Amino acid sequence: MTTGSVWRIVAAREIAVKLRDRNFLVSTGLMLVLIIVGLGIQVFLGGKSQTKTVAVASPAASSIVTQSGKTADAAGSDLELKAKTVASTQAVDQAVKDGKADAGLVPQGKGWRLIGKSSRNTELATYVGQTVSTQAIARNAAAAGTSLDALQQGAKLQYDLLQPKGDDNTTEARVSAVAFGFLFYLAALLFGMAIANSVVEEKQNRIVEIIASAIPLRQLLIGKVVGNTVLAIAQVGLLAVVAVGGLVVTDNAGLLSTIAGGIGWFLPFFLIGFLALASLWAVVGALATRMEDVQSTSAPMTSLVMAIFLGGILATGGLLKILSFVPLFSTIAMPARVVSGDASWWEPLASLGIAAVGAYYILRMAERMYRSSLMQTSRKLSFRQALAESD
Amino acid sequence: MLQVDQLTRRFGEVTAVDHVSFTVPDGLLVGFVGGNGAGKTTTMRMIMGVLGISDGEVRWNDAPVTAAERRTFGYMPEERGLYPKQPVVDQLVYLGQLQGLSAGEARSSADLLLDRFGLGGRAKDKLESLSLGNQQRVQVIAAVIARPRLLVLDEPFSGLDPQAVDDMVELLREFTRDGVPVLFSSHQLDLVERLCDRIVILSRGRVVADGAADDLRHSGPVRHRLVTGGDVGWVRDLGWLQVVDVAGDRAIVQLAAPQDTDRLLAEAMRRGSVRELAELVPSVADIYREVTA
Repeated sequence: MTTGSVWRIVAAREIAVKLRDRNFLVSTGLMLVLIIVGLGIQVFLGGKSQTKTVAVASPAASSIVTQSGKTADAAGSDLELKAKTVASTQAVDQAVKDGKADAGLVPQGKGWRLIGKSSRNTELATYVGQTVSTQAIARNAAAAGTSLDALQQGAKLQYDLLQPKGDDNTTEARVSAVAFGFLFYLAALLFGMAIANSVVEEKQNRIVEIIASAIPLRQLLIGKVVGNTVLAIAQVGLLAVVAVGGLVVTDNAGLLSTIAGGIGWFLPFFLIGFLALASLWAVVGALATRMEDVQSTSAPMTSLVMAIFLGGILATGGLLKILSFVPLFSTIAMPARVVSGDASWWEPLASLGIAAVGAYYILRMAERMYRSSLMQTSRKLSFRQALAESD
Repeated sequence: MLQVDQLTRRFGEVTAVDHVSFTVPDGLLVGFVGGNGAGKTTTMRMIMGVLGISDGEVRWNDAPVTAAERRTFGYMPEERGLYPKQPVVDQLVYLGQLQGLSAGEARSSADLLLDRFGLGGRAKDKLESLSLGNQQRVQVIAAVIARPRLLVLDEPFSGLDPQAVDDMVELLREFTRDGVPVLFSSHQLDLVERLCDRIVILSRGRVVADGAADDLRHSGPVRHRLVTGGDVGWVRDLGWLQVVDVAGDRAIVQLAAPQDTDRLLAEAMRRGSVRELAELVPSVADIYREVTA
């Protein structure tokens, strides 16, 4: 292998070491468990349709219950009705009292009586009430020599939505932008710190002298950045696959189609943003002389990552538009705009191009600072000093 | 052959290494000697390309050294360091690969060297679980794992027990027998004197002595010790030699020319019995004190 591709050995080691690192494995597992539990809760809450048992004592009551169930279903309600036939009207009362039925339906005079135990169920009342009233009007209409249709002529009201997904879409877009942003924030911080620590470890142990005598520092930097980026993408990809799989399994494919475009854009933005940040994190490690220094040398980076995250999820309107074209900030801001549907098709492309160019210059600058500070073992440096010494 | 040509390194106003020149010929063991702050480590780091050069150059076989060539040099830095929390063999294989070996070659080379240094059973242990002496052995292995074409070792003997010193010496000799030039620095002057074919003495960033150990020892004025049967005070009256010290029957004198040895012996025998007339060859330590004073 020539010195020009020796970064692959470095990257391979970064990955191998990380995959054997218990902290990394545990935290990845924990995140997976969180997603699965989150999906599970949703399945539990969403999948639980509301089945109400209504005790009845006559075929007429039973037919009203069945018809009410159909009406509820047609109206898109989760309410499911089941008629439970008992021997007598008294038995209906008893069944409700004992909790064997959620409600009871018995005839009373010319109408009907709906019986509950201690609280009223509005939905049940609505659909049963509707059925009872429709049947009564039909009966009365027949008696008066007319029909239900004739009576209801002109009484029909259709309610159409111009933007059926309008409000919901915005909510989903916001939620997915926050989710994307948080994933990036988390990966940038966790992997960033890991990169910085791995750099300062080599510096503190002086093994960097042996490495530097064998390969160019640029190769070392590239290896570290690539290795950790591969790991970060793999981790985020794994989480995304589980989350998407979960959405499909839990019948949330609709939500999926809404955010699919966002995920598609999020990945390339994540990749480019992460590459640039990773190289800066390597500088954080190089500036320090001991592990303890990373606390202070990482301060500018933690602020930057925080700003990218908050900017991406909190900014709106013009500011969001501007941020979506600023390298690093566009990582979250642009996919958020794509998901919410207010970006033209060319905007993410242009922004991605700008981000790539920006990342290239950030990498170049990071390399200079990395080289100038990595061999400076006598004292801790700041970003500014490292940049000054590299000239 | 490694040639260091007018190598200079300035840190701000301070010139740490000042136009240093010397060569490490193929197959020779060259000792690099000097006090703390003399510039040994700075020079070695410049040779290895770990530190920038202010002036001058490092040449390998009569041409400026390239990055690819440096990759074939073995280096043991002054401040030891490997990955404390990683298995011994893993980091050796990694460093071997960085120096151009394939994973398989690095693995077999690491196993071979670990066995040789009696660490075969510790290959999978974390480095930090080894004793300091054994960590030092691993450090040595890291420097030689890729069969380097040049060895640059900064204080390779510090921290080694006598057995490890012997192992290390045997290893270095093996390399020089194969024609590999070896440069090492040390504070242990007796060791340097015993081992080295050549010695380079550095003082305040400059080379103050450079040559074969034997030549260096004989480069200064030669002294003799004379022990006679009676009082030897009469040597003070001889005009053709310089008296360094006289005490009773013993005198230390410095002769101007080799043939004066016979003249002194004849003179002493004329005056009585002679118990001893011996040449006093300075040790490297004496030379070192003299040139760095």
